[in-house]
Amino acid sequence: MSMASKDLWRFLCAAAAIFLLAAALNFTVDPLQLFRPARLFPAMYSADSRMQDAGLIRSQDFDTVFMGTSLAVHFRQSDIDKALGVRSLKLAMNGSTSREQAFVLGAAMDRHPKRVIWQMDDWIFRNAPEVDSDVYVPADLYRRNAKGIAGYLFSGAMARESLWIAARAIPPLEPIVARLTNGLMFKFPISRVDDINALRSDFDLAGFYNAQNAVASFKRITDSARSVSIAEGYDLDAMVRNFERDAVALIERNPDVTFEIYFAPYSILHFVAMRDASPATLKVAHEFAAYAFPLLLQFPNVRLHDFRGVKDVTHDLGNYGDVIHHSPAIDLKILSWLAERKYLVDRAAPLVSLERLKAQVEAYKVDP
Amino acid sequence: MLFNSHSFIFLFLPVVLLGYFALGRSSNLAPVVWLALASLVFYSFGGWQFVPLLLLSIGFNYAVGYLLIARKLPSGARFAVLTIGVAGDLVVLGIFKYAGFFAGNLNALFSTGFVVNIVLPVGISFYTFTQIAFLVDAYRGNVARYALPHYALFVTYFPHLIAGPILHHKDMIPQFERPETKRPDPHLILCGLIIFAIGLFKKTCLADGIQPLVAQAFGPDAPTFAQAWIGVLAYTFQLYFDFSGYSDMAIGISLMFGIFLPLNFNSPYKAVSIVDFWRRWHMTLSQFLRDYLYIPLGGNRRGRVLRYVNLMITMLLGGLWHGAAWTFVVWGALHGVYLCINHAWSNYGLRLPPRFARVADVAGTALTFLAVVVAWVFFRAPDMATALSVLSKMARPGNVGFGRVEMVYALFVAIYAAIAWFAPNTQEIMGYDHENRTVGAGLRAPRMRPLFLYATGAVLAFGILGIQQHSEFIYFRF
Repeated sequence: MSMASKDLWRFLCAAAAIFLLAAALNFTVDPLQLFRPARLFPAMYSADSRMQDAGLIRSQDFDTVFMGTSLAVHFRQSDIDKALGVRSLKLAMNGSTSREQAFVLGAAMDRHPKRVIWQMDDWIFRNAPEVDSDVYVPADLYRRNAKGIAGYLFSGAMARESLWIAARAIPPLEPIVARLTNGLMFKFPISRVDDINALRSDFDLAGFYNAQNAVASFKRITDSARSVSIAEGYDLDAMVRNFERDAVALIERNPDVTFEIYFAPYSILHFVAMRDASPATLKVAHEFAAYAFPLLLQFPNVRLHDFRGVKDVTHDLGNYGDVIHHSPAIDLKILSWLAERKYLVDRAAPLVSLERLKAQVEAYKVDP
Repeated sequence: MLFNSHSFIFLFLPVVLLGYFALGRSSNLAPVVWLALASLVFYSFGGWQFVPLLLLSIGFNYAVGYLLIARKLPSGARFAVLTIGVAGDLVVLGIFKYAGFFAGNLNALFSTGFVVNIVLPVGISFYTFTQIAFLVDAYRGNVARYALPHYALFVTYFPHLIAGPILHHKDMIPQFERPETKRPDPHLILCGLIIFAIGLFKKTCLADGIQPLVAQAFGPDAPTFAQAWIGVLAYTFQLYFDFSGYSDMAIGISLMFGIFLPLNFNSPYKAVSIVDFWRRWHMTLSQFLRDYLYIPLGGNRRGRVLRYVNLMITMLLGGLWHGAAWTFVVWGALHGVYLCINHAWSNYGLRLPPRFARVADVAGTALTFLAVVVAWVFFRAPDMATALSVLSKMARPGNVGFGRVEMVYALFVAIYAAIAWFAPNTQEIMGYDHENRTVGAGLRAPRMRPLFLYATGAVLAFGILGIQQHSEFIYFRF
């Protein structure tokens, strides 16, 4: 063998050795706890729910799954457990589509939960592409197929996290590593499951959730230069198709699971913005609810709550950081309403709450 | 298909290499055909619907070239044939790349309601320019007659097809014709792999690593002074490591086939002037614009004023080549102005004594870098309003906003700057000499070789480990 050939082999062997070493490190530390619960190394969690959920579904014990978008992402599991007397797992994902939610819920169904609490709205059914064309969801990791596992083990980004978590397990290094772990440089900065995406204790609640911010947001989205975005994706036929594919099919497939679905208490300004800047969009939103509510209530395993017309909350703009996102105080109210089964939509009259909302939206006058 | 994908590295490349060398045992032509077909397969992954257009373009240009080279046409007819050839290429490029831009501007001016939505075929700017150069050289009588498979491979050759380097037929086709390139050379394969590894590392670890910081300036929220600078500097380094990484990978892949590609980058941020910058950044495009646009326009042969006019025209069209948008036109115009100032300074500016040469170089590097960074704002911004908004934030230190997050990001940017300014570039590390067709002479020195091999092996491993889903190269969209 010539010297150049020997060098070529040396080079390839060195690359292969490092490659395998990274995989071994990822397998041993297992940042997502896909293979085993964390024992040798401290459990750390990421705020990237789309990735983290794949591990949580495997590593956590739960009988209730909590799903939703950014409106549900700040809930604390401990609050859910306390209010409803369950052992919950929060899988909510910021800006998630119905396809993403149904896919993640489908993976969670393999662990046989008794109940799903699902924060739903018309927004999630607008553009909901297949998860395999969605770059943000590591679909094969949820499927646990060879591609997904290989992608996890042979990932340099994951190896960096593994190394960091391993360094944190070494007592002399622990304080300094913990100090440097801030989410800016590392994706697994959270040490308690309950803290995943929950607002930090030092978060300025009054500074963020106030009427001024809600009104400013209303003005921003109804500004003529931007208002076209309100209508984005609101195509009733497509929304109905996505609803049937993602929500109805999942409920049908799991008759033993109770689906507690709630439509979140958006601020009234959300609907008023549609009314004033894009009436056709408001019509689609109402028509969607008029189609979805009766269909959902055909299933005996569905309980449907409509919080959109809870005037005490939705008309008090101090509860909101913009036109839709409510404060943690409302999170707790929602849990209490779910526990008390308040604002349940009547199977015999599924459109009463919708009519109430329509009347409120029509009557609402925006302060100049 | 992306160079930075597992399917390319572990499947496509090994299969094409094995087929190439296996066929090379019995024939000098079969490997060329094999490589051209493999290149078409590679191209079809980026959009199979554009393969017929590519084939049509090859057929058209080869036929025009044949008329110019093989037929004894009178000079008027030759010029007409050239005009038809170049116009044909430009019309196709114009339809696919600029029709939407043109319609959009008509709409803005006259509210015509005329909308054109045409998908841009991948690599069209690169293969059009390559072939225009071929036609012009054929007209000038600088081209020998090439066989169709060699010509087709010259255009489609997959290492360069999508994003360059822009190849020259005189450089490439003779290499395709040489029987020696069809025999595997372990030294060239090793050097090619190392260069590929460096390029892959630049892309997956450096460019993709800093990419999230770009949103600091170009994200949905209005940036502060610090965020605007961090975002723009992050883009400055992202673009460099992304594109030079791609070029390194192209050179490395080609070297495994025994083919030397021209260099495209030579540490551009170390440039001491804008003229120097354009000798170091996207070098094959600069050479193309110089040989086929600036010089035919008259270059510097018709007086100083016309020289500046020619420079401006060249850079404006160079900007428009990158994309059909006013932001690219402004980017080109800015560089045109920079070049004019640079040339005017060389002609009329102060002459510093030699003892200040080092200081002048440092000042020149800093000023050039700053000018380039400002121009990148237009290159990156989705529209003029965003570009002006980001620039206005960069110019207003009133709202600095330099918190803990910004400090960490600034540290990142500083590390990238140190690599771009002080580290040796790929050809310096590997001793790559395109002109003399030599590479890796240092590898023959035994002392450091094992360490170097292990280190570069690690670079390859880190490059592959850093592969993320769907991380395209920035220059694919041009």
